Amino acid sequence: MNFRKIFYASGAALLLIVVFIMDAAMKNIDETGNGLMALRAGMMVASLSLMYLTVSQGKKREQHNIVQRIGRVAMFTGAFVGLYIVVSVLPLDGFQSRELRLIPIDYITILCATILSAAAGVLSILTIVNIREVLLFKRKRGTKRNFWLLIAAFLGAAASTYNLRPLESSNYREVLLFLAVGMIIVNSFRLSWIAYLTRREKIYTMLYSLLAFFAFMAIYVIMSEKEFLLKSLRYFSYPLQTVFQETALFGAIFFGMAFISTMFHLPTAEAFDRKRSEIVSFHSLSRLITQVFDFNDLAESVTRMTLEVCGASGAWLEILPSDIVSSRNISRDDIARIVEGSPNTVRSTVLASKTVLLVDDVANDRRTKYFAGIHKVASIAVVPLMTHDELIGILYVTKEMDHAFDQDDIEVLTGFADQVSIAIDNARLIKKSLEKERLQRELLLAQEMQKRLLPQTLPVFKNLDMKAVSAPALEVGGDYYDIIRLDENMISFVIGDVSGKGVGAAFYMAEVKGIFQSLSRIYPSPKEFLIKANEALITSIDKRSFISLMYSTLNVVTGEMHMARAGHCPMLLLSGGRAEFVKPAGMGLGLAGNHVFAGTVEEISLTLHKDDVCVFYTDGVTESRSAAGEEFGYDRLVSVVRDTSNRCAEDIKEEIIQRVWAYTDAQGYDDDLTVMVLKWNGPH
Amino acid sequence: MSEFAIGVRESAGVHVLDLKGYLDAHTTPLLEEAFKKLLAEKKYRIIVNCRDLNYISSAGLGVFMAFIEDVRAEEGDIKLSNMTVKVFNIFDLLGFPVLYDIVKDEQEAIAKFGA
Repeated sequence: MNFRKIFYASGAALLLIVVFIMDAAMKNIDETGNGLMALRAGMMVASLSLMYLTVSQGKKREQHNIVQRIGRVAMFTGAFVGLYIVVSVLPLDGFQSRELRLIPIDYITILCATILSAAAGVLSILTIVNIREVLLFKRKRGTKRNFWLLIAAFLGAAASTYNLRPLESSNYREVLLFLAVGMIIVNSFRLSWIAYLTRREKIYTMLYSLLAFFAFMAIYVIMSEKEFLLKSLRYFSYPLQTVFQETALFGAIFFGMAFISTMFHLPTAEAFDRKRSEIVSFHSLSRLITQVFDFNDLAESVTRMTLEVCGASGAWLEILPSDIVSSRNISRDDIARIVEGSPNTVRSTVLASKTVLLVDDVANDRRTKYFAGIHKVASIAVVPLMTHDELIGILYVTKEMDHAFDQDDIEVLTGFADQVSIAIDNARLIKKSLEKERLQRELLLAQEMQKRLLPQTLPVFKNLDMKAVSAPALEVGGDYYDIIRLDENMISFVIGDVSGKGVGAAFYMAEVKGIFQSLSRIYPSPKEFLIKANEALITSIDKRSFISLMYSTLNVVTGEMHMARAGHCPMLLLSGGRAEFVKPAGMGLGLAGNHVFAGTVEEISLTLHKDDVCVFYTDGVTESRSAAGEEFGYDRLVSVVRDTSNRCAEDIKEEIIQRVWAYTDAQGYDDDLTVMVLKWNGPH
Repeated sequence: MSEFAIGVRESAGVHVLDLKGYLDAHTTPLLEEAFKKLLAEKKYRIIVNCRDLNYISSAGLGVFMAFIEDVRAEEGDIKLSNMTVKVFNIFDLLGFPVLYDIVKDEQEAIAKFGA
């Protein structure tokens, strides 16, 4: 009840009271003037309009409550019958008739007539409004038109009685009433709304319709058999009585039809309910396919919907290789017994056949005897989930009755399984692409980090022209070079290669940088440095990883050089037109403890002469392969350096890189590539 | 370019892995699987015949490092035989001859296992 409703209702009541007072005042006056009659009729129309507003107010918000609407009509109709019964036992004097006019004998009769008429008005409006809402649910073309024709016939018949005396009859009225009955029948056959009710709703509809039918019939019969009701209404208003009579007929026929029709719909109601819930489930599943980001949500929805689509008592979903991701109404122990309890489980059968397995009677079927007796598992369907011809999972569905799966269930389940497979596949793809994105971000970060591990600039010396470059094969590589000044005249530099590639290699590289930056100042001797570096690395490095390193110190004034090698590619020295690979003995770092390692490391010294070229590099240079599978090798390296040895370090370095890339042109190169060139411009 | 194949055979109580082609980052998982399988079967006397091995990358070398400790702990060994000069140079560069028994041919390796 809202404020407006109260306002309309009290307006309607007030107008009726005024009409009642008028009637009472004119009880004994035979002829009243036309003006007064018109005023009375106007107030009555206004009062009925307000009643209509009261009834229709707020109804719009309550959609689809057909059963409630029918119930409300049944209740009010019953109430009207009750009201009549109460009135009929009152000691009333009733009406006298004179010249087809009705004259009330006492005031209480006028009051009762007014009350009954008001109730008839309310009931008429209520019935018509509610039937309209029911009819317009699932409307078709013409539904609305037919309804309005019915109303037009009602109002037409009512209007034709405006000038009639209460007991007068007219042909117009009869014809229009006949038309109205025709429209009543047309409208009463519009019963398709029944089909959309659930079984429960249908039962209530039947009950209410029957009540309403009897009540309307009672009203109709009372009106024709008992004069008092007819006279009261006619006395009060002939048009109102006309409408009420039609409404009662409409109500009786409409609800009678509704009752019979609902009764016939009832046996199929269950099937209809099921089909509808299937459609709803399919619909929500297809929505799920596009929305699910959370795999667990999806799995839960799948088992829940499985119960819905085929009325199963239990279900669980397995994602291969063997992950039960969601289950309903069945314990993990029972599941384990069913999928693992025998060498030939229903699971292994479906894994092999990739088709639906249905066991109608678990207890007496040799395929399922091994799990007979599990509570509420009397029949079972095992449905494979396939995408792109690949089995990705299995949906298990159980029912508590044997032979409970019909052909429909199996068809629905297979259709459902297709949808589920797509949904799972989608969810996986989404997860995969998220994962990939995450990895790419990580790689980018590592790449950035690695770039910073390499020296951003190389120091410049009068006697030494030094250039270096490193190009990782993947986003992150394992090559490393670095240089530091030990004092004014001494530098130490290093080139290395961590086995493997990617983020792991980058971490070891960072460790090597830490070792180089700290140990080379403490142990300037190359041999000592490598032994200490090995000691630091052997404890932290993965046993299948190792690091090759070449460590050198150089006096940038005198050209005196000391170097030691730990498994790294030999240095190429081009001196006076002679090419030589300088390869002091020494195994890779991280391969063996110092008791082995220390014995293998050799340190050598040499002095650079003017225009000597030293080339340090990683195996990406010499092991790069051509399309034919042949390696770039040492000889090609020597020839590039020979060709360019009279140029600056930058040119030599650039030429080496260009030649390697050109050589591996067809397939690109697949190893990290690092080159460091020193050209000595100093004395000697 | 990543063509690689492994053959496994038994010869006088010793298991021989025949490596063929390029053993690099892409193909090392195959060798790793082969080793894992032998170790799972408690076969610890292993010869890796490198006659047809064209190339081995640092990742390939890492595989040997991954298993040698376990094999030696069971008093077995991984011996490498029939290496081409090129492949030997790669092993040698890293100092592997210090760590592994690299022999001329299979007979020699079998003989060493026998001793």
